[in-house]
Amino acid sequence: MGNLVWHEYSRLTAITASIYGVWAAFFGLFYRKFFWDFVGGTLRDPGGFHAAIFISIIVKVPVVQILTMLLGMFIIALEFPLPQLKSLAIHRSIVLRIVLLLFQTFLTILFYQGTNAAIWSFMAAICYTRAQLLGETMAEAKGNRGKAGDA
Amino acid sequence: MRSSKSKSRLSWSQTTFTKKLLFFLSSSLPSSSLRSFLSSLSFFNLSGRTRTLSFVSDCHLLLFTMGESWFQREFLAPRRLAFNVIFYGIHFGLFAYGWYSQQSNPKLAGLNTLGFSVWISRGAGLVLAFDGAMILVPMLRNIIRVVRPKLTWLFPADENIWFHRQVAYSMAFWAMVHTTAHYVNFINVERTQIRKQSALQIHYTQPGGITGHFMLLIMFAMYTTAHHKIRKQCFEAFWYTHHLAFFFMIGLYTHATGCFVRDTVDPDLRPFFPFYSTEHCLGYLSWRFTIWPGIIYFGERVYREYRARRATRLSKVLVHPSGAMELRIVKPSFKYTAGQWLFIQVPEISRWQWHPFTITSAPEDPYVSVHIRQVGDFTRGLGERLGVGPSVVAAMTQAAMKGSEKDQKTGGRGDFVELDFGSTATPLPAVRIDGPYGAPAEDVFNVEVAVLIGAGIGVTPFASILKHIWYRQKRGNLGTLRRVEFFWVCRDAPSFGWFQSLLQEVEAAQADPNFLRINIYLTQKIGEDMLWNIAVNDAGAEYDPLTLLRSRTMFGRPDWMTIYGQMRQAVESGQYIPGSKSQLKTKVGTYFCGPGVLAKAIKEATVQNSSSTVEFSFAKEHF
Repeated sequence: MGNLVWHEYSRLTAITASIYGVWAAFFGLFYRKFFWDFVGGTLRDPGGFHAAIFISIIVKVPVVQILTMLLGMFIIALEFPLPQLKSLAIHRSIVLRIVLLLFQTFLTILFYQGTNAAIWSFMAAICYTRAQLLGETMAEAKGNRGKAGDA
Repeated sequence: MRSSKSKSRLSWSQTTFTKKLLFFLSSSLPSSSLRSFLSSLSFFNLSGRTRTLSFVSDCHLLLFTMGESWFQREFLAPRRLAFNVIFYGIHFGLFAYGWYSQQSNPKLAGLNTLGFSVWISRGAGLVLAFDGAMILVPMLRNIIRVVRPKLTWLFPADENIWFHRQVAYSMAFWAMVHTTAHYVNFINVERTQIRKQSALQIHYTQPGGITGHFMLLIMFAMYTTAHHKIRKQCFEAFWYTHHLAFFFMIGLYTHATGCFVRDTVDPDLRPFFPFYSTEHCLGYLSWRFTIWPGIIYFGERVYREYRARRATRLSKVLVHPSGAMELRIVKPSFKYTAGQWLFIQVPEISRWQWHPFTITSAPEDPYVSVHIRQVGDFTRGLGERLGVGPSVVAAMTQAAMKGSEKDQKTGGRGDFVELDFGSTATPLPAVRIDGPYGAPAEDVFNVEVAVLIGAGIGVTPFASILKHIWYRQKRGNLGTLRRVEFFWVCRDAPSFGWFQSLLQEVEAAQADPNFLRINIYLTQKIGEDMLWNIAVNDAGAEYDPLTLLRSRTMFGRPDWMTIYGQMRQAVESGQYIPGSKSQLKTKVGTYFCGPGVLAKAIKEATVQNSSSTVEFSFAKEHF
């Protein structure tokens, strides 16, 4: 597969998935629905609230959505990266990213709008895992070097 | 073991002059002067795959021009302003119409109870239909190649990839709007039960939802792999993933077959094409329009396949000391002009991959040649197949360089080696070529002075162009062209290897010392060792130590304002072109290929220096 640098590709997937996640969670604040409500009979015509843990943290109080937004924003800040995070060594941790993306997968799969974000986050996590297995390391932020290709 | 076996396959027509002549006699070329010119190409190794790719993309991107604000770039340049107004005007127009036609349709009163979200989703859906049609239009390469010369005044047809990306960005945005609106629609259908369905049933069991989610997933894969960084790292990842477009398009054309927009309780599906009744399914039926670019594109791909299968023969492989392989291909049905490029495929190495390379031969040549450096997996595989893997090439290069050190007087750096496949069991591999693509460079002959500027890898198309100019010069068929100024701005010394010999011969072949001027700028920072090396070797030498040309290499970035200013003064005072009358307007055409930052600086210089007697024109990526 050419000379694909997997963590650089994973970065793009992680950013895409996280932006989707934040946007989905934002809409999840207004249209609250537990994705898995078709399991175990919480979904009924004409609908209504039912006592279940996920109903209370997604529908009654949008805890999951808020957490997703915060997590998504943090991943985006880590990936772009935010100048404050750039200097930290943790910014270059691939394992941290895998963990965060798996968390994001778990959170987004819970609510109605988050399905695609969950699939994409999971794919991003797989890509990062591949990078980790290949032993790739992320380079320290380059100092004040000129941009390559400028003549 | 592999390499030693390969070595025995080589026949070394070594570096002595007599052998060189023998080679040329045997290669059946038309004239002796031509032979000497072609021998110039011995050093002239261009375009490894990644490099050519970056050239192709560099020449089409002016988007990331630095040093000006977003507003200046998008709104103060008249062409870009016109594009923005028309392109986004159409988008918002369609959105508004889509919204209105949904909201005002009495038959859809039921759906309209969903309110804003359904109006937005319908508007955005219509916009996406438009984008889905337009995304393929800039990819109709053969049609663009035919219509381009007639339409250059209307739109920059060379910017087809740029346009493709604009449509893609727009598509991503409207897909977000459309999807978001539908998420709201379906949850409201579930809550209000205007149809007896749950949101997830619509999402995951009906055609609209399934194809929609599937298209989003394909977009996710296609957009992320299309990033310029990924494309350069691993072209295959981009190339194969982008062919998911086939399934994307199938999804797009069948997106409305579930009859979501209807005035009946249940979808009015039929057992025959198009499998729903147009009486009750009240979508835009946009597939009737959007499918045409898809059909034409598919037809074009079939045609390209047919064209690629026409008789093609790899007639010769030459290996140059700098490590480049020159493939000379004979294909009678292949017609091209200077400055164009082609796709090449070697089925033995990769059944499906097509790799773009700049054509380095002139149309007058009896063959089509490309210069390939072994930099990527494909090009290395090709080297191995031809028996000149990287290790062999390194050995040959060293041998040739040694020969040249003894032979310094002739000013060369060793000669190329022709691979002899006649006496071995392994024949040359089959190759297929597809093309040509890119604009012809015939404009050069409609101006008095042609300024050719290649930056970095952007110099590749000028190989063919300089050769073509040379041929026409021999025939006395230069049109209005009186002088050629060739600029090559490049970053590091090793890249000089490519062009060195070509330029050397072109320079030597000039009867009129004023016809062609070669200006080479080296922009790299120079270390102390190199500085002294140059200082010691340069002083009093006839040839430049770096390029072995008579013209001296200049260090640092060229100051375009001064260069053009001086050129204007020289033209105005009548020194530049002998016999030019001051009352006639002199046309100076600039042809540039390279990164956008440089393009902008040069364009400014041409605009500032145009006067009543000298007209400077500028064409970026015109090749």
